Order: sequence, then structure tokens, then C-alpha cells
Amino acid sequence: MSMPDTSTETLALYVMGLLDPEERAALDAQLRHSPALRDDLALVTGDLAAFALTADMHSPAAQMRTRLLKRVARERKPAASRQRVQSEAAPESFTGYPAQPATFAKRSERYDEPSRSSRRPEPEDDERRNGFAAAMPFAGWALAAGLAFAAFYQYNARIDAESKMHAMSNEVAQVQTDSAQARAVLESLTDPSAQVVTLTRDSSTPAAPNGKAMYMPDKGILTFCASNLEPLQPYKTYELWLIPADGRDPIPAGMFKPDAHGNAAVLLPELPKGVPAKAFGVTIEDAGGAQTPTMPIILAGA
Amino acid sequence: MSDGILNIPRPQRDPERDRDPAPDIVPDPTPAREDGTYGPQSGRNDALLLQQVQAGSEPAMAAIYDRYSRIVYSVALRVLRDPGSAEDVLQEIFLQIWRNPIGFVPSRGSLGGWLAVVTRNRAIDALRRRRPTESVEEIALPSGFNLADDSERTLLLERARRVIHLMPPEQRKTMEMAFFDGLTHSEIAEMTGDPLGTVKTRIRSALTALRKAFQP
Repeated sequence: MSMPDTSTETLALYVMGLLDPEERAALDAQLRHSPALRDDLALVTGDLAAFALTADMHSPAAQMRTRLLKRVARERKPAASRQRVQSEAAPESFTGYPAQPATFAKRSERYDEPSRSSRRPEPEDDERRNGFAAAMPFAGWALAAGLAFAAFYQYNARIDAESKMHAMSNEVAQVQTDSAQARAVLESLTDPSAQVVTLTRDSSTPAAPNGKAMYMPDKGILTFCASNLEPLQPYKTYELWLIPADGRDPIPAGMFKPDAHGNAAVLLPELPKGVPAKAFGVTIEDAGGAQTPTMPIILAGA
Repeated sequence: MSDGILNIPRPQRDPERDRDPAPDIVPDPTPAREDGTYGPQSGRNDALLLQQVQAGSEPAMAAIYDRYSRIVYSVALRVLRDPGSAEDVLQEIFLQIWRNPIGFVPSRGSLGGWLAVVTRNRAIDALRRRRPTESVEEIALPSGFNLADDSERTLLLERARRVIHLMPPEQRKTMEMAFFDGLTHSEIAEMTGDPLGTVKTRIRSALTALRKAFQP
């Protein structure tokens, strides 16, 4: 598929921006002249996109959406282009031009009819006019009754909608309060500027590495905080393990690196629900983590 | 998109469209909600949403965010391991879509897959505090990569993870070091003590396995 001197690994390095400038320039030149090589490059990019999806999925904080959309609104595009969308959003006719709006079409149809005033009055018209005259008072009452009913219905609907809206806004306010509290708790655990103090009996001796895991097996919710951890080499990481009570293999429960003070936290890693833990352990793994713990276990607790 | 190092000729375009200075706006069959927003599972395709973003539609922008923010944020977080920095990359990527949506349109196959790769590269750039590498932003992706649909997206995520977990741990680790840590083959070989040829073989086999898993 690819040219003999351009391997999949080279294309992968190119996509990841890891080639030397000379190698990159040479590959650029090849790509310009080789559609087949460009196809290969697209395939390798697809493979890497697939690999990107293996990252643990996390949702960004809700306020990120609000912040982005506020920014987007600030950078609002000219109104002309929006109006263009609206005008072009009208259904197209077979000629490719937008169809006439329905109201305009109806009006033009009416204009095509012969004018009522230009016709001569006929006897049938007189009879019809007399019938209308007789029905008019009743029609007026019927119309008034209809309007009264519609007004009453609208009033009730409005009261109902207002009460629902009030209930919903109370609910939203409650959710916002809960969310703000949860966010504050998360920030206190993850913000590197947060002051973390480990209390020990004797402050003169250096504190040993320690961690605390809070785990809700039925919901698969885990929070882990560690302190006094040794710094790691750049290509190493700490990894937390959940050791199931039923004797199954340890389950990876998140990787972490300590900050400059030796503190680290793992919040809400992806874990299966309903797995009671016999113990938790921490190991040192290569960057990227492992599927089975590498000995020795640095921290353990049951 | 600014001029990248790689200038791959764009796919053939409709000459009628090229003559028109503004992009054609396709009427949208999917109505917005009453508040003007679109649900994340609405059937609108990415190209249509991008065209509407080009025309200044904020609900369309919100729909793209709802569809792909999780992927973009997760990839950025995996590389940077810091929620604040990942949020910066997230905002940068989506603002780029807002400012230049047409730059993303030309037959790139899959906006979601493309975003995943571009996010990874932006995050690595942020990690190394270097200028953004833009050449890869010109690359197209194969079209068998539909991340626009929620259920399809979940399926693809599961499939990718299954493939990765079936790989030997050393191979998976090598791929992760290359992709998520931005290490070259030589750097990986140096760090792991494995021969350079072994590192290359592992990466090639991993990519082949992923490709096979995503072939229809």
C-alpha cells in the first residue's frame, strides 16, 4: 500500500508530530506526489484516532459549556450570514430556488381570482346576504362565548405554566447549589494550590507515604487521597488497585502522580459497580499504567 | 487553517459551490428545541452543523460541543493529567471550530476522529509548551468512523478498548508511551531498554490490530 521506504511507523510518527524536521520535509515531499501514500496516511490517522478513544472517558465540568458558549456569543458572527441561513432554510422548489413563502403564495392566488367588486350582483347573492344578516347576532354571541372560553383556558394554562416554572426554577436552584458544593469539594481535592496538611503524632520525624481510599462498592464510586509520596521519574506513574473480595484479579483504579509536596488524588475512576473490595494497593508502573500490578506494592490497606 | 507544512490537495469540490463566495446552506430537516438548542442525539450530521456554525448558529455550536466535548476533554486529560490544562485545550479546540468551521469540513471523513487526533497533538504541544503543530490538521480520515451518533460512539469506544486490552501489556504500553506521552521510538527504546526494532514492530502491530477492528 505505502511506498517501500515509508513505513506505517513513520506515518504514525508524522501524524503525532514526532519526526525530525528533515524527515518531515522529506515525507511532505513524498506526500505531495503520491495519492497512495496520502491514503495510507489517512488510514494511519484513523488508527490513531481509534487509539485516542481508549483514553478513560471523563465529562468536562458543566461550567465549561457555559463559558465556551458565552465566549462564542461574545464573538458572534455578523447577522447577515445568519439571515442568509434563515432565508435559505425555506424549502427549495425543483428549480433550485427557494419556494415562495406560503402566505405570499396564497395572496397571489387571491389576486388571480376575478375581483368580487367587479362582478354583477346576482339573486343568489342577495339570499346569501339575508341569511348572513339573520345569523350575525348569533354569530356575535358565539364568537364572544368562544373568546371568553379561550381567554379562561389561556388564563388557566398560564397559571399552570407559572406554577410549573416556579417549581422547576426551585429545582434548578437546588441542583445548582448541590453542583457548586460538589465542585467545591472536588476543587479542594484536586487544586494544586490547596493547602494539604497531614497530621501526625510527632512532627519531628518525616511522615511516611500514606493514602486513604473512600469506596462505595454498590455504586463503584472511589475517592483516594495520598500524601508524602516520593517523586517519580517522568516515565513512571503510581497506579491504584482495587483487590476484589471474591478473589478476582486486581482491578486498575486510576493512575496518579504526586505534586511537588508529595500529594495526589484519584477521583471517581471508572470502576465496575457491585465489586466489594478486600483491599487497596498502590504500585509504581510505567507511564500509561498496567493491567496487572507490578511488585512491590508501595501502599496497601484493607 | 493556516498553511501547514503538508499541503495535501483538497478533494474535488463542486465547481458551483466554489464559485459562490459563501458556502451553501442546506435547509435543516431537524427542528431545534423550543429554546433553540439541539439534542446531542439529534440526527444532524457534522457537515450540516459545521455549515450552520459557519453561518453563526450558536445552537449548532452547542450541539457540536455536546457531541464531542467528552472525547476532546478525555484525550486532553489523558495526555496532560491536569483538569485545568485539559479544559484550556478543550476551549481552544472548540473556539477554533467556531472561528473557522469550514477549515474542518473538506471531506475529512470523521470530525470526531479528527478531533481526537488534533486534541492529542494540541495537548502534547501544551505539555511541551511549544507552538501548535498544524500540519496534521490537513490530514483526512477514513470515513468508516462515525462518532456523531451516540450509540455508534459508545460502540466504537468499547471496540477500541477491547482491542487494546487484548494486546500484550508491553505492546499496549509502547503505544501509550508514543501516543499519550508523545515519546519517539528512540526515546521509548531508551526508557524501556527494548531494541528499537521491537518498539517499531509493537507500534505497527498495534495499529494493524486497531485498523482490523474498525474495518466494516
